[in-house]
Amino acid sequence: MDRELDRLVDLLADHATVVVSGAKAAAEIGVPHSTLHEWIERLRELGVHIDGLPGRGLVLKTVPDILTAGVIRRAARGTQFAAQVHHYYRIGSTMTAAADLAREGAPHGAIVVAEQQTAGRGRLGRSWHSPRAAGIYMSLLLRPLMPAARAPVLTLAAGLAVADAVSDITSRPTDLRWPNDVLLDGRKCCGILPQMTAEAERIRHVILGIGLNVNQESFPPELAGEAVSLAQATGRRLARADVLAAVLRQLDRRYREFAAGDTAALIADFERRSSYARARRVSVETEPRSFTGMSEGLDACGFLLVRRDDTGTVEPVLSGTIRSV
Amino acid sequence: MNLKEIKELIELMTEKDISELELERAGVRLRISRVRRAAVEAGVPASVLPAAAPAVAANPAAVAPAPAPAAPPAEPREDLHIVKSPIVGTFYEAPAPGAPQFVKVGDPVQPGKVLCIIEAMKLMNEIESDVAGEILKRFVENAQPVEYGEALFAIRPLKK
Repeated sequence: MDRELDRLVDLLADHATVVVSGAKAAAEIGVPHSTLHEWIERLRELGVHIDGLPGRGLVLKTVPDILTAGVIRRAARGTQFAAQVHHYYRIGSTMTAAADLAREGAPHGAIVVAEQQTAGRGRLGRSWHSPRAAGIYMSLLLRPLMPAARAPVLTLAAGLAVADAVSDITSRPTDLRWPNDVLLDGRKCCGILPQMTAEAERIRHVILGIGLNVNQESFPPELAGEAVSLAQATGRRLARADVLAAVLRQLDRRYREFAAGDTAALIADFERRSSYARARRVSVETEPRSFTGMSEGLDACGFLLVRRDDTGTVEPVLSGTIRSV
Repeated sequence: MNLKEIKELIELMTEKDISELELERAGVRLRISRVRRAAVEAGVPASVLPAAAPAVAANPAAVAPAPAPAAPPAEPREDLHIVKSPIVGTFYEAPAPGAPQFVKVGDPVQPGKVLCIIEAMKLMNEIESDVAGEILKRFVENAQPVEYGEALFAIRPLKK
């Protein structure tokens, strides 16, 4: 269904502001006129503005900012993420869709993008606010050929990639909060969730979930102090296709470094780019305990080293939430 | 059959965790047997187990019987399957705090059933069972750090 809707949007977008007769659109897509009307109704429900002129045809007043499969393919051109493109107008979670694809044997580099998620997921069952067409909600299917023990650095690589892409697009400095929150003006614009399925010696797949706030004008009160969109930070709306292209380009580069085993270089880059990596007073929340201390860089695995206030010893943080105190 | 092919067979067995393989082709009979690592961890003294490296025997004569694998353990042992952590990280028994556990001791499991999550730097590693059987023991408490290779669960495999 989503694929057919994409074809209709692409067709109308190719003739934006020109009236396309319903009969012509139906013929080009190869469906009966009545089906075409159902699709148009569905697209309108999903927020696409299509004007219908009685007896004359259809017209898109402006090209909608929709990441159709064609738009995604163009944005991914030249990267390893063009292997298979899946676009949904509305979905529970791109993570679930990507996990299904992985089980069905989809190739490395398959990409799932949604306009809207009704059950966007974050770390440990938390939700990710995913309003329609405002952000980029996607999951990439990766099949790294390496033992599972080497995979966690991918988290840092993905954070670096998005931070660089956001800086490229907005011309604004970005910061990284270990392990991979991308910050603009001290607030989070992107969340990254890597999910791995692996046996001891072999990774079956990693699904890299990315939620990037692009054109949100506001956030629910509980997120307002913590979240920011690129539009809020720059004062202008951005074409999501351009942002997507920048993110995929940087991910392609960083993934190659990761796959080549350039762990030390990635860790060094992260330490350079992140104000949290060194000499920062932080709290470490690792359910059910938490502590405070001073960050002292990353270890050879990429774990954040924190000198604890209570014991005076340096402890590597395996997981958890880092906050500035 | 050349050395390279035999090497590939051993790699395949290691990868798929096959303990014994026998094949006959063009007058050559080959049997490879591997130590089951799970048995070592189930507490069987190492001395009663066959050598750790795969024992390979290729016989050019079709009639020659393949050598038997090293002596079986002296005492009957339960062939437990141990699920180990492939990464350093934090062990989670449930998909979210307060959510029901993935599995409890006594639960039957099928291959592919998620047993727990190990998190390292936000990389969520869903550990799946690779055998059908019953969860006999869990070695780690919720939210505790685990080492690479640390035992997480013992599963009693279903008898075939």
